[in-house]
Amino acid sequence: MLFWVIAAILTLGASLAVLLPLAGGPKRGSASSDHDLEVYRDQLSELDRDVARGLIQPAEAEEARAEIARRILRLDNADPAAKTAARQPSMATRLVATAAVLAVPLVSWGLYSQLGSPDLPSQPLSERLAKNPAESSVDELVARAEAHLAANPTDGRGWDVLAPVYLRMQRFSDAVTAYRNAIRLDGDSAARQAGLGEAIASAAGGIVSADAQAAFEAALKLDPANPKANFYLAMGMAQEGRTEEATAGWQKMLAALPQDSPWRSAVEQALAESAKQSVASGVPAKGPDAGDVDAASSMSPQDREAMIDTMVAGLDEKLRQNPRDTEGWMQLIRSYVVLGKTDQARDALNRGIAVFGSDSDEAKKFTAFAVSLGLTATE
Amino acid sequence: MVETGHFALVLAFALSVVQTLVPLFGARMNNQKMMAVGGPVAVTGFALTALSFAALAMAYATSDFSVANVWDNSHSLQPLIYKITGTWGNHEGSMLLWVLILTFFGGLVAAFGSNLPATLRANVLAVQGAIGATFFLFILATSNPFARLNPAPIEGRDLNPILQDLGLAIHPPLLYLGYVGFSICFSFSVAALIEGRIDASWARWVRPWTLVAWMFLTGGIAMGSYWAYYELGWGGFWFWDPVENASFMPWLAGTALLHSAIVMEKRSALKIWTLLLAILTFSLSLLGTFLVRSGVLTSVHAFATDPTRGVFILCILTLFIGGSLALFAFRASSLTAGGLFHPISREGALVLNNLFLTTATATVLIGTLYPLAVEAVSADKISVGAPFFNLTFGPLMVPLLVAVPFGPLLAWKRGDIFAVAQRLMAAFAAALLAVLVTALFIDGASVFAALGVGLAFWLICGALTDIAVKSGFGSVAPGIIFRRFAGLPRSVFGTALAHLGLGLTTLGIVGTLCFGTEKILSMHAGETVQLSGHTLRFEGLYPAQGPNYSEDRGRFALLGADGSTTAVITSSKRSYPVRQMTTTESGIKTIGFSQLYLSLGDEGTDGSVVVRLWWKPLVTLIWGGSLVMMAGAAVSLMDRRLRVGAPSRRRKSAGAVPSASLP
Repeated sequence: MLFWVIAAILTLGASLAVLLPLAGGPKRGSASSDHDLEVYRDQLSELDRDVARGLIQPAEAEEARAEIARRILRLDNADPAAKTAARQPSMATRLVATAAVLAVPLVSWGLYSQLGSPDLPSQPLSERLAKNPAESSVDELVARAEAHLAANPTDGRGWDVLAPVYLRMQRFSDAVTAYRNAIRLDGDSAARQAGLGEAIASAAGGIVSADAQAAFEAALKLDPANPKANFYLAMGMAQEGRTEEATAGWQKMLAALPQDSPWRSAVEQALAESAKQSVASGVPAKGPDAGDVDAASSMSPQDREAMIDTMVAGLDEKLRQNPRDTEGWMQLIRSYVVLGKTDQARDALNRGIAVFGSDSDEAKKFTAFAVSLGLTATE
Repeated sequence: MVETGHFALVLAFALSVVQTLVPLFGARMNNQKMMAVGGPVAVTGFALTALSFAALAMAYATSDFSVANVWDNSHSLQPLIYKITGTWGNHEGSMLLWVLILTFFGGLVAAFGSNLPATLRANVLAVQGAIGATFFLFILATSNPFARLNPAPIEGRDLNPILQDLGLAIHPPLLYLGYVGFSICFSFSVAALIEGRIDASWARWVRPWTLVAWMFLTGGIAMGSYWAYYELGWGGFWFWDPVENASFMPWLAGTALLHSAIVMEKRSALKIWTLLLAILTFSLSLLGTFLVRSGVLTSVHAFATDPTRGVFILCILTLFIGGSLALFAFRASSLTAGGLFHPISREGALVLNNLFLTTATATVLIGTLYPLAVEAVSADKISVGAPFFNLTFGPLMVPLLVAVPFGPLLAWKRGDIFAVAQRLMAAFAAALLAVLVTALFIDGASVFAALGVGLAFWLICGALTDIAVKSGFGSVAPGIIFRRFAGLPRSVFGTALAHLGLGLTTLGIVGTLCFGTEKILSMHAGETVQLSGHTLRFEGLYPAQGPNYSEDRGRFALLGADGSTTAVITSSKRSYPVRQMTTTESGIKTIGFSQLYLSLGDEGTDGSVVVRLWWKPLVTLIWGGSLVMMAGAAVSLMDRRLRVGAPSRRRKSAGAVPSASLP
């Protein structure tokens, strides 16, 4: 409402700026010959000063004076019709004036109705972060937690709460930092170490690197039965081509896991895939989180495939909207390869390269990654 | 607030259309009321544009990510100053700044132009309005900074780290004040062509605008050069990069305009040429905007590239440059020619200046556009770099610089070059001494270096000679000298200061290019290195955390003769996580007019780090000289002559010219 009042006032002011001069009394502008005369007069006095300063010889000064005087005389002859006063406004003038006054509100309101978003209020960040948490989105809550941690960077509990949220939001490098801070400030725990390992692995596109492996091993030292650590360590072995050891690891997990553990189906799936020898090249992006696993384990194979397809399509869509996401592209390419959709994987690879430019570091990373999955950029 | 800004922008567009058409009709029909519309509309248009700009700046300052432009170019963790400067650190915002300055100048003409003849004022404001209208349309149609996002993202994508620097607060506003300032000269020229006549006072009205625009453009280019020098970490101050050339061409043409306007003002000569120069100067400003904004050139400055924008700007360019030149072709013949002059005279010297400057402009233009033309025709990518410009631009500048001290000392209409040469003997002797000292004591190897230093001293002493001669030094009693000195017109001081600044800049360039030394080496903590008599010890790399970046700071100790630390220089490599970019912050220590410049390179595996070191003698004079040139323009602006030209009522009633002045 306030906006419309302001807009109306502005429009009124702008229209008045056009209207008032047109409605005012008769004016008389100064004729240009007056101005010229003034200039010539000044040139003459400057000439006198130059002579006094000895910059110009008297004879030349005389000549120059004569020249200026000639110009003044010419001025008197020319321009005899020193602009008669404005005539009575004719029909045409009235028309122009009316059109001009009307044009201001018509053009502005017409254009604004096409371009503007009058109902959208300003949203300064500090205001958004100050409102009731119950009304905030997850993004806003995270931003608020980040602001809190920026002010109190030694709040270990804060980092501990935020870390898994980052992981779920796929902000893997932030998750790594958060887990590291939580471990540094609140001490070791199996869950934190395993989470750190998962974050490192996910940031590397699912590859269980030496860093990730170290984290998982630290977790196992504190809790030898930690399923996440066990699962990923076996995955790491599978990635190194040590399929038998991986299978053995998973089978051992399967024997130890309770019947209702959400990890059972993930392990079973991994075992099935390792049997097909495909694990070595394409590994799932990350261990499924508990909710996904629960849902997936109670589904028929068709439904499960549909869900995976939806997730991949969602990722694909996300990348179309927000394409500068290196990890996202690698995840997408790998997902298509795992699903056996080579053409789409290649398409994703080319799109990813196009986003960053074919000679960027990212493009090289993508190509190398694709080659490691047995995929080439072009046919 | 955001939508208020958006609405104000649309309203300003509507007003600029009115500002174009109504005064133009008024001038044609000699209707005073319609002509009078231009003034209030121009002032209101400026107020609305300022409101719009303030709304966008506010959105940046408060990190309102519901504005797409803010989301794209800002981050909540940036320091407040960079949040605000980020407003124009992107395509949309910088175009808004462009029109803000355009309407600001239009508003100034409206507010202080009451001493202009009514039709001229109306036409000037109409042309100014037309430029404004097209750029408003460009912004609204292709680069709207007020596009919204719903729902709003919670975090922005950060400003390009290279732009997160104080330079962004100064360089673009100064540069735009310069570019856009020439629009006023353009509008005055086109207005004169529309009317088909040039008043004697035309040059006086245009001159202050030329001075203002030239002053800001000089500052903008110098600031940009210094920024590139310390931020990009290559230690160079000028790269002949097409974008730099784009700002340099209007400067060269503007300098020519500044000088030819003097002739026009004093002697009513060179009218047509001055008009053409004014048109060309602003055309080059527009061309610069086009080259930078269209994405034809890729560089730091091409914030965004979008073909529709390029086509749109190309249309604007064609409309204004083509239109004004066509008008020029039709009307130039109806303008009356002015006074005659002898080749050896002040006028002659200024014509020589114009010849060299316009040729130099053409050279830069060819060097900038040729690669584009080749690419368009044959798809080959070539680059015209420093060697081309050194071979063409350099030789053009040397004779011009040699001639500079003669100009102000020559008399109008018919000068005596031998008398002038005699007066310049002292300056010549000083220059010769500088050459000898350089060749004998500093560096005997390079003749060019010595001659370059001599040229710089010739300019500096020539400027001082100008003041001395005009004060009557050596010909009258000391008491009178002082009175004359105090009574000299401000424009004389302005000229001398600007020429002095030119000499200082030349000295800085010659000193840096000819006597600079550099070293690239790999250093471990604790190692020392010698460069041109300075000893530096590398103390090691220390990590540090900024508000939105992390950095590795390399600390270097400058050691005195006794081995104690006299200064600490830090250079750092910053990493900005949001854009995943790294920047190098160079470490600079100013010693006298010279600088020790160092920047960090890559880290080795064994804990060593690559360090580049430069010793840059007299380098600060390059920019110091530009500041002196700006001061010259400022002093010249205060000349009382520029306030004349308005007929006062009293004098007009007095009637004819005082008879004493008549022959």
